[in-house]
Order: sequence, then structure tokens, then C-alpha cells
Amino acid sequence: MNKNDFILIGVILLIIGGIFFITTRSNKKVNTASVYYDNNLVLKIDLTLDEKEYIVDGYNGPVTIKAGNGKIKVEDEDSPLHLCSKQGYIDKSYESIICLPNKIVITFDDIDNSIDTVVK
Amino acid sequence: METKKFTRLSLLLALSVVLNLIEVIIPIFNGVIPGLKLGLANIVILFVLMTYSFKDALYVSILRVFLVGILRTGLFSMPFLFSLGGAILSIIMMSISKKITKLSVVGISIVGSFFHSLGQILVACLIIGTKAMMYYLPLFLLFSIPTGIITGLITKELIKNLKTIDSNY
Amino acid sequence: MKDKKYLVGSILLVIILVVTLLSRYYTSTTYTKNMYYMDTYITIKVSTNKSKDKVDKVFDKIDNLYKDYHNLTNPYDENSTLYYINHNTSNEEELTIDSRLYDLLKLGMDYYKETNGLLNINMGNIISLWKSYRDKGEGIPSKEEIESNKEHNIEDIVLLDNNKIKKTHPHIDLGAIAKGYVTELASKTLKEEGITSFIINAGGNVVVGKNNKKKAYTVGIQSPIKPSDIYTKVNVNNKAVVTSGGYERFYEYEGVKYHHIIDPSTLYPASNMQSITVITSSSSLADIMSTYLFLLDTDKALEYVNNHDDLECIIYTNDGKTLKSKGIDKYE
Repeated sequence: MNKNDFILIGVILLIIGGIFFITTRSNKKVNTASVYYDNNLVLKIDLTLDEKEYIVDGYNGPVTIKAGNGKIKVEDEDSPLHLCSKQGYIDKSYESIICLPNKIVITFDDIDNSIDTVVK
Repeated sequence: METKKFTRLSLLLALSVVLNLIEVIIPIFNGVIPGLKLGLANIVILFVLMTYSFKDALYVSILRVFLVGILRTGLFSMPFLFSLGGAILSIIMMSISKKITKLSVVGISIVGSFFHSLGQILVACLIIGTKAMMYYLPLFLLFSIPTGIITGLITKELIKNLKTIDSNY
Repeated sequence: MKDKKYLVGSILLVIILVVTLLSRYYTSTTYTKNMYYMDTYITIKVSTNKSKDKVDKVFDKIDNLYKDYHNLTNPYDENSTLYYINHNTSNEEELTIDSRLYDLLKLGMDYYKETNGLLNINMGNIISLWKSYRDKGEGIPSKEEIESNKEHNIEDIVLLDNNKIKKTHPHIDLGAIAKGYVTELASKTLKEEGITSFIINAGGNVVVGKNNKKKAYTVGIQSPIKPSDIYTKVNVNNKAVVTSGGYERFYEYEGVKYHHIIDPSTLYPASNMQSITVITSSSSLADIMSTYLFLLDTDKALEYVNNHDDLECIIYTNDGKTLKSKGIDKYE
């Protein structure tokens, strides 16, 4: 083995390190969420930021959403059973919050390649 | 093609197929990651590339994939396609690095081993269509360094010894 | 010199290989459509090389399809055809009804026998009684309430020829079959329009086409205990995956779970299992089977499934175990 071979090994290790870094970083974490009102996109939320409160208009009045650090929940809303605020945080790409009385749907934009859809 | 070369290439081809079959029977890494192999057949391919030409190495390499396909994995099955992708990418990159770099036999072997793994996984990703395989990629590539060194060292000795034998005739 | 030719040739070969494989991914675009009908949030996702206009037209067609059946079969909407049948006071009279509703009723009647009376479309009274408690989220109906709503004789409905129906005091509820039936029609519409790669997710009813990017569609099955967890998954093409039980549509009262599926023999919500997921080619059959099998005990359900072709199931038992039918491994 000569000097070039060791340079080669060094280069390969760097490439592997790079790939490892990219694959583990993009692995699973949800990065953005979309909020729909009556099927229209009304808000996009960057989930890599620290947790913040967002308010959107729902059918029964304002809906308060708390989102950040890779998770999102409905904090407060006006509906008979408060199902979606009781649901709490969601953080997996296939999860969603659906608040029917307020016609609000929250989904993640990140595509999890391992699951195409979920039967409930 | 002269008879001596033809005979030797045929024997080498047979050897590469046998090495591949032996490798499957002896499960060195099977418990760790499925699909991870030493790549002993690469010794033969590299040897042909170093002592004959790219064309000959390409022939032997592709014929090997087809023979292993017929004997073990099944023609045009998934493992067959993975193997074909890996083999072709590997031989191209070895040939290029032989021509344009000053790498030793061991270095070229590492290049071959690296691109063999990369080619296999890329084909797998394209056919299966999932990025899940990508998570294995760093580990596969990391293993290609020691396996490349081992097969490279063996090839180096092989070339040296066969030269001595040849010159004695 | 000759070597160079071969090298260039094989590099070209690899490039062609990669380009053809990649082109499979980038020529098709994904479109999504969300709807809300039949008390369910419906999502359609298609992957096709057809134009956006064309896809939008197909989506509109399907939207109308769900809307029509929603209006036909909603037993709680005073303007629906079904409400009219149920509440029309002139009994014993022959009624001519919409042929689409007639066909759906016929499907329900046909499966009454196959399921030994467990799939009964004439028990809307007891279903809505339980629904009223589920909507409140607490309490259960008293014995008297159940007693006064127990009529569910299927012979009260007689289907005549030419879309005519004869009935006495019907309480028709098509909740167990309508969604699967319409979803089946929706998937047929997509295929007729040349869209073969699609997912229709209507809550507990999922239908997928043939995946054009992967070997199969992976359908995760939600845990009936914890909605954020997927306890198992199946890989399918051109199949319907339907869950009964599950996490949606139940309530807990005094530590007992009450599902929305009422057993006609006990008039109480069935409790033989937490949930059952059925996989078969037809969405309408999958919907019917999942309801029927949910009412059986786990052994009988597995036996039934194992004795039928193109029918597989996964059961989440009351004690949290997962039972699978014999042929399920082909989807794993």
C-alpha cells in the first residue's frame, strides 16, 4: 500500500461520515406542518423553531395551536367535545389532528417513506 | 483470443463463481447485517483487470453475475439486479482509478469494493423505491474498506506469485 | 484503445439504466384531495402522469359520488332518501326509490344470510340510541330504553323488482356497508379514468391501487389503544384494508369501552375483540366482513377467514395480543 491508498481511505471515511450525518439528521423528525381550514391551506409552521403559539380562524371561532420542537397540538378551540385539544401533541409524520367542528386539519409535510397511509 | 488466455479466463470465471458460492455457505457476517459479504470474487475480477484488460474483466464480471444468477439467486431476480449494478459500477471505477490515479492494487481493490456496495444499494433503492436502505449505506461502505484491503492484499500476492510461475515456463 | 471503447460503452449502459429507473419516479405527480362526508374525513392521494385538469375532474366526480351517497344514506338528515323511507308513515305501501339506494339495500339484504343475521341493516333505532350516548360520552342506555328500541326484524323490508321497496316500520341504517361500498365505487372510477396508483383513506376504510413507485403500498394499522402508535403494517396492491373497532367511534364509561358496532343478538356493543382489520380485494366486502367478524369471537373469526380465499385479517384482542390469519404473511 502506498501513500495514495491512505489518502483514498481518508476520502472514503469522509464520504461515509457525510452520508451518516445526512441520513441520521433527516431521519424521521418532522420539520413542517400545514394547517388547513375547509381544505384550504391557511398556515405553514416551521417545527424546528422553539415552541410558539399560533392562532387561526376556525368555524366556531379562533383555534389556538401550540407548535415547535418537532411537535404540534391544538391548545384551545371551541367545539362540543374538544376532541382535538384533548388529543394532545402529535409528532410522527403519519399522525394528524382533525377538528371537524372547526373544519381544521393539521398534517405534517414530511413524508415518511415507510408508511403510505394509516387505517384507523 | 489465444487458447492460453481463453483457458485461463474460463478457469478464473469458474473460480469467481465458486468463491461467491463458498462465501454464501460460510456466513461470516450474516448475523450482523444480511447481505454483507467479503467479496472474494472481487479478487478474480481485480486480477483479470490488472493482468489482462478492462474488456476481459468486464466480460468475466458480467458472466459471473449471470452464472451466479442461474445457479443461486435466479436470473433477473432482485439480488441478481443488485449484484449486476454493483459489479458494473465497481469494474468501471476500478478501471478508471487504475488509469488516472497512482493507487496500488490494494487501493484499486478498495475502490472496487466501495463502489460495489454503493452500486448494489443504489439499485436496491431504485427498484424497491424506499430510502430505508440508505440507513444501511454508511455501514456497508465502512465495511468495504477492510474487505477491500483483504481482497486487495490477496490479489497482490496472487499477481506476484503467478508472475513467478508464468516466468518459469 | 479498444479498452476505451468498452469503458465508454459500459458507462453509457449504466447511465441509461439509471435514467430509465429514475424516469419512473419523475414522470408521475402526486395529487391529493380531502373531503368530508358520511361522518368521515376522506383523503384521496393519486400518483399519475395525467394532467392536473384531468385529475381535478376525476376528483370532482368522486366528490359528487360521496356527496350523493351521503345524501342518500344519512339516517339523521331529514332531507335524505333513507330518512324518508324510515319516517314515511304510510307503511305497507310500495315505494319506488333511487336505484343506487336500492342496490345498496340489496347488498345489505344479501349479506344478512351469509352472516347469519349478524349484519342487519334494519337496526338503526338501537344504533342511534347508542350513538346518542356515545355523542354525550358518558352513560349507557337503560334496559327499558333498549327494550323499546329492539325491533330489527329484517323481514320488515321487502325488496321488490324495479327499484321498489315494501316496508313496515323500518329503521334502516347503512353505516356498516355504505362507506365501503362508495369507496369501492370511487376506486373503480379512478381505475376507469386510467389512474391506477392511488390511496383512498376514508378513516377505517382504505383502498389502494397498484403502487408505481414501490413494490406495494404500506398501510399502517393504528393501535386501538394508543392512536399515535401503529401496531402492525401490511404491504398491499389493489386491495382494501378495513378496520372495525379501532380507536375511532367508541367511548369509555366506568372503565368499560363501548364501540359503535352493536351486536343484534345482545343489542349491546360487541366486545369480543378490540379491533379487527380485514384485507380483501373488494372494499365493500371488506367493510361488511370487518363488521361481521368483529361480532364473532376471535376463534370463529379466524376460522371463517382461514376458510375463505382472498380474505385475511389481523385481530387486536382484548388482552392486547395480535392474531393473524394464515395467509397474512404474503402481505408482510
